[in-house]
Amino acid sequence: MEVRLNDLGRAAAREAFGHVVAAERDPEHEWHPGLNPPIDPSHDQDDPLATLHRQQEIATNAELAVMTLGEEFLNDAEAWAWLSTLQVALRSTAIANGLLSDERLAACDQELLDFVHTIQQLLFELAECF
Amino acid sequence: MPAVKPLRRTTTDTDVLTEEAVETQRPWNVVVWNDPVTPMSVVVVIFKKIFGYSNNKATHLMMTVHHEGRAIVWSGNRERAESYCVKLQVAGLQCTIEQEQ
Repeated sequence: MEVRLNDLGRAAAREAFGHVVAAERDPEHEWHPGLNPPIDPSHDQDDPLATLHRQQEIATNAELAVMTLGEEFLNDAEAWAWLSTLQVALRSTAIANGLLSDERLAACDQELLDFVHTIQQLLFELAECF
Repeated sequence: MPAVKPLRRTTTDTDVLTEEAVETQRPWNVVVWNDPVTPMSVVVVIFKKIFGYSNNKATHLMMTVHHEGRAIVWSGNRERAESYCVKLQVAGLQCTIEQEQ
């Protein structure tokens, strides 16, 4: 997959990937709750092995995405890492900022809306490659 | 020729399923939930990648999530449901598991 991103696009991707990596490592990061949703809400706690596996997979994808940020071409695994990490970044942004409805999204500040739209645009274009 | 009477089958404790056995046999659903930011095309890609669904099936499930707020995307044993749920969460979708009622 050929990566045709200008500097602005790569900067947005870099910011998104960097936040996901940081949020996985830091429980105080504002995105951390978005990376740890419940699997089975009928139980107080999820299976620790399942949550550990999830944590490792998200971190692996994010780190691969960071490592390949400057690449002109991505293989299938790298493209999937980009898509997954961007999607995780998008949802984590929404959760951290309470963007849980169309109304809340429309009412958020312009800078946040611009970031959301940029990540969404990156995702649209990536999705077309699959 | 005399008619052969059918044997009466006597019930035993092993013939009757306990409530616990019925409980564990109910399948587990993998449920994907709608949100206002995730692009629909990304949901389709994720369903195709993780489940191997056709484009039609993935699109149908995505539209169900979009219009009804949630969709059951897979159903089966708990372990596998949990594994799929984790994969979907790793891909960035809002997902949970629930036992069928």
